[in-house]
Amino acid sequence: MTNERRPEWRVKFDLEGKNPFDLTGRHALVTGATGPLGRALATALAEAGADVSVTTTNDDGAEEVQANSILNECWSLGRKGSAKRVDLTDPAAVNAAVEALEGAHGPIDILVNASHGANIKPVIESSLAEWEHELSRNAMTVFVTCQALASRMLQRGYGRIVNVVSVLHDRGIPNGALFGASQGAVLGFTKAAGVEWVRGGVTVNALGLGFYDGIPGPQSDEATHAVLERYIPLRRLGKPEDLQGALVYLVCNEASFTDAEIFMVDGAIAVHA
Amino acid sequence: MYRDYTAARRRGRGNGVSVLDRLRLDGKVVLVTGGGTGLGQAMALAMADAGADIAVSGRRLDPLQETKGLVEGKGRRCLTVQADATVTADVKRMIAEVIEHFGHLDVLVNNAGGGSAGRGKTMVELTDEDWHAGIDGNLTSAFVCSREVTPHFLERGSGRVINITSGWGYRGGRNNFMYSIAKGGVIQLTKTYAMTYARDGIRSACIAPGAIPHFVEPDAPNARADAQTAGRLGITYEIGPLAVFLASESADYLSGETVLIDGGAIAAGVLPAGLVPVAEG
Repeated sequence: MTNERRPEWRVKFDLEGKNPFDLTGRHALVTGATGPLGRALATALAEAGADVSVTTTNDDGAEEVQANSILNECWSLGRKGSAKRVDLTDPAAVNAAVEALEGAHGPIDILVNASHGANIKPVIESSLAEWEHELSRNAMTVFVTCQALASRMLQRGYGRIVNVVSVLHDRGIPNGALFGASQGAVLGFTKAAGVEWVRGGVTVNALGLGFYDGIPGPQSDEATHAVLERYIPLRRLGKPEDLQGALVYLVCNEASFTDAEIFMVDGAIAVHA
Repeated sequence: MYRDYTAARRRGRGNGVSVLDRLRLDGKVVLVTGGGTGLGQAMALAMADAGADIAVSGRRLDPLQETKGLVEGKGRRCLTVQADATVTADVKRMIAEVIEHFGHLDVLVNNAGGGSAGRGKTMVELTDEDWHAGIDGNLTSAFVCSREVTPHFLERGSGRVINITSGWGYRGGRNNFMYSIAKGGVIQLTKTYAMTYARDGIRSACIAPGAIPHFVEPDAPNARADAQTAGRLGITYEIGPLAVFLASESADYLSGETVLIDGGAIAAGVLPAGLVPVAEG
């Protein structure tokens, strides 16, 4: 059978000039947005047309200043959105925050989990409390926020969730066991939740990081940074801006068949091993 | 470690260009092999929408003419080249024609391929001809086109190869040797090419489509759709935005990577689609 015999389907081949990456009218929530990574992701969504809200975690003036500065950048593009301080491991608090944000700026269609902390320490010296802290801030937060948002998205039949995951989700480096375990947890969750919700119109994907400047991890050490610059195939550490295009693709309307997948934007470092 | 980042901020984010601009392909020339039909045509059209000029190649001229008409309807230029991507002489001529016509080439999409060679045959039944047809159509074609375009990319200090593999490049299928083997090879071709030319400004990436049939009405209920994780088949145009992203400068830090567009099929592949287990822990 050839195309020509089925002219009525031809439209399916062509977006007919529509910009698939336009997020106008969407409302995005970016968690852990107050670092350079979150700023790059939040502003990319705003540049693509989405309203953007962010969460902060600490009762900390500096973080609030960061959040407001990011929102200012989004507002200057004509977008709406606000910041909420919320404990991302507390389902009741997250639900209340989501309700307030949706009440103010409309339904949240896009969730980006960008909160990211790395404990780089020998296993032998790590305590149970540190294990729990690592799993809680990196993985439990993803479960809680995804559950709160997906329950609403599934009712509306549309949602895009992107979880930021380190390359250490399936690679082992010395002193990276606790962090790696938390990243593996997030990726496993991403794949299962993606499959669980795809028929309801909600996709869950991961944005995979290599080693980035401005993001906590082993690269924060000067000597390791210098080694990585030579070792990464593309010969530089990532910049948060490098993630913007992949994020906008993953959350766009036309990416509904891209699900339960990880996009590694890592300077090809995962190709090494 | 904020040093590079702060400097970048001072210069302006992403050199002051919005992410939507960095997802454009204005001024780029893209060559899509097998660009007359199906996924190849869909990628050509999406890239033309994003501002690229397009070259399409294939063994038959008729489908290429159709793509040309659609691309030109979008106000972009389009060159058709009749060429067999498995034949080195054809490929050399194809690359030369594209460069002569447009002055340069930025992106090669190795889309030509197909799954019919040796399909349904056991190991014992497979002939040497099946083996060579399967490898040539899907893997040799990507290899020859990549090899022949590389000198041009090296000369320019930039370039991008996008290969098309399949979910079959990951999974094994009963009596589906040739397609799985060749498409698995395409994933390794992508990685090795990325490593080899990482320091020359050349990137590679690979798209692994799941069930995106070209000639099945996507919205109509059918058994094949029910058997998908997503409960539906992929729609051909859906590959377009992914190809545009991978071809764009916003994917500059991504190389050697294979990305699935399969509605979660590989992630879910350990259970029959639609089965939702419930068990007490």
